[in-house]
Amino acid sequence: MLAAVGPPAARRPDPQRYAMAKQQQTVLERQYSRLGLLLIAPTVLVFCAVIAYPLVSAIYLSLFKIFTPTLEGTWVGLDNYRTLLVKGEFWTSLRANLIWTVGTLTLQIIFGVGMALVLHQNIWFRSLARSLILFPYFISTVVAVLVWKWLFNDLYGILNHLMISAGLIDWPIDYLGTMPNAMISVILVGAWKYFPFVVIAVLARLQSIPDQLYEAARIDGAGPIARFFDVTLPQLREVLVVIIMLRAIWDFKEFDLIFLLTGGGPVTSTQTLPLVVYKEAFALNQMGMAAAYAVIMMLIMLVFMILYMRRTQREDT
Amino acid sequence: MLRKIAFNLFAWSIVLMVAFPLFWMLVTSVKPQFELFRRPPTILPETWTFEHYWKLLSDTNFLGYFWNSVILSTTTTIVVVAIATVGAYSLVRFRYKGRESLAFLVLFTYLLPSVVLILPLYLMLVQLGLSNTITSLVIAYTTFALPYALWLLRSFMAGIPEDLESAALVDGASRLGAFWDIILPQLLPGIISTALFTFILSWNEYLYALVLVNSDDARPLTTGVMNMLISSFNIEWSLLMAASVMMSVPLIIVFAFLQSYLTRGFGAGGVKG
Repeated sequence: MLAAVGPPAARRPDPQRYAMAKQQQTVLERQYSRLGLLLIAPTVLVFCAVIAYPLVSAIYLSLFKIFTPTLEGTWVGLDNYRTLLVKGEFWTSLRANLIWTVGTLTLQIIFGVGMALVLHQNIWFRSLARSLILFPYFISTVVAVLVWKWLFNDLYGILNHLMISAGLIDWPIDYLGTMPNAMISVILVGAWKYFPFVVIAVLARLQSIPDQLYEAARIDGAGPIARFFDVTLPQLREVLVVIIMLRAIWDFKEFDLIFLLTGGGPVTSTQTLPLVVYKEAFALNQMGMAAAYAVIMMLIMLVFMILYMRRTQREDT
Repeated sequence: MLRKIAFNLFAWSIVLMVAFPLFWMLVTSVKPQFELFRRPPTILPETWTFEHYWKLLSDTNFLGYFWNSVILSTTTTIVVVAIATVGAYSLVRFRYKGRESLAFLVLFTYLLPSVVLILPLYLMLVQLGLSNTITSLVIAYTTFALPYALWLLRSFMAGIPEDLESAALVDGASRLGAFWDIILPQLLPGIISTALFTFILSWNEYLYALVLVNSDDARPLTTGVMNMLISSFNIEWSLLMAASVMMSVPLIIVFAFLQSYLTRGFGAGGVKG
């Protein structure tokens, strides 16, 4: 349409023709790059409108004091940041956020790698087992939370019933209303919901480890445990680093699961930074303050994001 | 042999433990209300009933929410996949200034937390008079769906050998003709799996729907069902479990029929990032 290309002009080396062909090529190249720009234009437009512009204005908003219902604001400069950093809430939320991220991420990695190793073996109905394992990852967080709230129910929940009949506890536990139970519950549900991601990623990598490596280790007299540490784990290292970085970013910014499960409670003990942003903006009606929280949160995440992006760029080239 | 059986039993007991919450959801949804409160609880329902499903469809606005979700997710998927397909083609196969930094930006936004974007987006959509519409959600959903789809499709596109396109060009095809005839058919599995993932993402999204929509006319399933929990006086768990099952049905269908596409997409995008 834009650049109709004929067959290459020169069949035998002919200086004049060669020069013409070359000239034609540069014209063509210019046409091509114009076409390339045309094709990327919709993406760039959408990006500017819904991502770049909001991102910049989030930073701008954080310099104002804005009352959410009327959206009227007054310039306060860096005041939001100053109040935020001396307020205890920021630090307790950051702490809760880190506990949640480290806790759930650790469980995800341990369960995920373990489960991948199990599913890599030839067990009965392997594909059914895989589908069942993957399912928590694909259902909506809303569904996951509703189901777990029902399991956690203090009077009629099956979990309390099982624990009591197993003799582990004497009285029903309040899983979401007290500390540290609430944090542990949130971490566990998070691990349940997101560990399948680790399973799939690790499983894909396991399948590409050459069998010869295991053969060689076996000939050298390595048992199953030694084979895991000397062959499997080094082979998984690369993919595990990527998974940990990605999941750390995603877990750090998790909103739905914690918000729906505990709402940040009891009081503020499971209130992570994304929840504070939401609370400031839509419950306390302090849009500017919320933006300041969001910007700080993004700055913290930026460390991980840059690490991850540098890594993928290295892989690309 | 004995070891094999023991290992299988071990493996399956873990699998069943992981799947138990989902099993429990199904069981609860077909138990009559009074059976829920029995001690000890019945593992399989003594009496099977579909009254909760019936109640869900006739007494609540579930179907309305469901319909909103279908429209919302389908529209988002079509818009995003269309833009991302040509965008990914351009990013992978063309050379121009700023291409590298654009790819970098895509990855950056793919990792960006949505709570950062939601405040200005909220302001923007309120000012445009779009709040409480499905359109506002489609716009908001592109913020996470487009970078995601672009990133996935980029890796699929990079997997198509360049020679195929060159051969078509030598045969006299135009660049766009080659795209249409050669690239698109090759890319189709990638497009399908990207579309499925985008659909699932939009189907499950909660935060934007919570903030941007406050009326039942535009409310999707996630916030709609959650509202049923909050607004009901005494919680009817069977009803909520029935809603959860119904809400997961489209995902189960997608999952069952197209599992190979899903895992392929996962390998391309989920792991490489």
